[in-house]
Amino acid sequence: MKTTNFLTGILFLTATAYPAFSQDTVTLVAYSGLFQERYTKAVIQPFMAANPDIKIEYYPFPGSAQMLGALRAQKASPQSDVTIMDVSVAKTGTDEGLFDKIDESVSKNVVDLYPSARFEGVAGVGVTFDNLVLVYNSQAVKTAPTSWNALKDSALKGKIAMLGAPDLVGISTTIILDHMNGGKNYLQGVDKGIAAMAEVAPNIQTWEPKPEVYPNVVNGLVSLGVGWNARAQVNADMSEGRLKVALPAEGTVLQTNAINLIKGGPSQAAARKFVDYALSRAAQEAFTAAMYYAPTNSKANVAPEVIDRTVVKSMNSVIPLDWIALSKVRDQITQEWRRKVIPLSR
Amino acid sequence: MTAAAIMTAVPEKRPISAGALATLLLGPIAIVNGVAFVLPVFNLLMLSFREALSGGGLGEAFTLENWTGTVTDSYYLELIGQSISTSLFITFLTLICSYPIALYLHRSQGAWRTFLLVLVISPLLTSAVVRTYGWIAILADDGLINSILMYFGSENGIRLLFNKTGVVIGLTEILMPYMILALLAGFGRLDHRIEEAAETLGAPPWKVFWRIIVPLTMPGIALGCLLSFVLAISSFITPKLLGGGRVFLLATEIYDQAIVTLNWPLAATLSMIILVVFGAALVFYSRLLRAIS
Repeated sequence: MKTTNFLTGILFLTATAYPAFSQDTVTLVAYSGLFQERYTKAVIQPFMAANPDIKIEYYPFPGSAQMLGALRAQKASPQSDVTIMDVSVAKTGTDEGLFDKIDESVSKNVVDLYPSARFEGVAGVGVTFDNLVLVYNSQAVKTAPTSWNALKDSALKGKIAMLGAPDLVGISTTIILDHMNGGKNYLQGVDKGIAAMAEVAPNIQTWEPKPEVYPNVVNGLVSLGVGWNARAQVNADMSEGRLKVALPAEGTVLQTNAINLIKGGPSQAAARKFVDYALSRAAQEAFTAAMYYAPTNSKANVAPEVIDRTVVKSMNSVIPLDWIALSKVRDQITQEWRRKVIPLSR
Repeated sequence: MTAAAIMTAVPEKRPISAGALATLLLGPIAIVNGVAFVLPVFNLLMLSFREALSGGGLGEAFTLENWTGTVTDSYYLELIGQSISTSLFITFLTLICSYPIALYLHRSQGAWRTFLLVLVISPLLTSAVVRTYGWIAILADDGLINSILMYFGSENGIRLLFNKTGVVIGLTEILMPYMILALLAGFGRLDHRIEEAAETLGAPPWKVFWRIIVPLTMPGIALGCLLSFVLAISSFITPKLLGGGRVFLLATEIYDQAIVTLNWPLAATLSMIILVVFGAALVFYSRLLRAIS
């Protein structure tokens, strides 16, 4: 009798240890840090609440290149289902056959995406838009900069930080300066941009602000920096007014993160469901409100005070930039930087 | 029973042969090394002969372009030269700063020696990243050193951070514990009685140091320099944090090529070049040791 009771107890405990339904696990490979924190709260948690049979496991990486490295290593037997990465890296992944195509058959929300969120030759589609901005310390810089030429201000010598080429910040700034100074085609050369960067170089304190440019501006180590709008806005909120963001009149460039379905991922049906949700109006609105990335879904209805802090209202001043074509000349621009820009900052 | 009969009755224990013993002892580490080092390095070598496609793609074609491009490009040649010369300079500075400490430690005794040894080893218990951030606080424009200089009248202080000076200072401090421990390990031949004999015969202190102490501690110097050089040339985080994007070394370039521009074949080629430099350093070390003995 005692033995029977004991076995019944064991069986009961075993049964209650498992949920009443089987749960699919979708592994999402995406950015670490602030992105992970905000994306989890704004998109993943509401999705899991609405889909209790699906669990999203976030596998964070500091950058797109590391994500691609991990996906290459898993190619024979993928252990991840979805990835969010820079579109130029997503193109490389597509070329290597790592992703399945995302179109209207995967998500009905694809038809609502802005045309600029869909890319020829990329299996995934745009899930966030970001743009380059100036960030400044409001105690050191009293008037908000209105031009990228603020980077050349000799009063800020040794007080400016930005990531140098080959990072996208350095490359983007060069292209903006090239465009401002009459450059016509960055794919054929950015001589005017390099010449302008040569004037910026003596003011640069570091080309490698660590951990990021934003805390260095907040704590006054530097007065002015170049960064990405979404992170800049979040840091501005957290800095109690010490860091402010300026979008110069000459315009900016867009950076797009693409969401991609990993070919042969273990939970394909659930992954498609998540991709559909990530592109939906609700998810796009929530993430824009949480982190100021501009939505890629044209139907997203974001509060005006949030929209004002994204690039949405300045789209006419965006300098068109084809990141995929640019990746072919990125190394060449980097070499010019190293020979003509960096030496002037020593 | 005769002694001979007893000898034949007891089963003979055959001693294990030297070859079998060596296999037994070295086998596990050889397997670990083969799987965790030789195989990945071989993969890296193969990767260095693959085609780098634009945008970070990997072509399947076999090519020598990564190697020929690297060894004929003045930028990469300068990078290799600068990495070697900077690492040699850091090694020299580390030796100069560490040698007196190691000598004093070698001669101290008892609890005092233990206390000093703990002091020397304690930085190794802290991550190099944390120590590097510590240096940022000290070397910054408004850091400790410049604050002192400005207090004594310097107008703008001096630039110690985000340049080669910062990298040299940071790496020298980070490598000192390794150098001191290597020096101590190689000070075995140093005998105080020989120094006393030289002094008794009228040798001045500098001559005792130069003719007795330095030659006897040469194995430690060689070992410490080898260790520091290898660690300096492969160090990545300190040049990245203290160099401010102005100091280009092989390790930082490998990072940029592998992680930022996604040119894995070039990163693999540069990694193999670092291995060649390591090999050259090892050959030099073994020849030096032979010359010393």
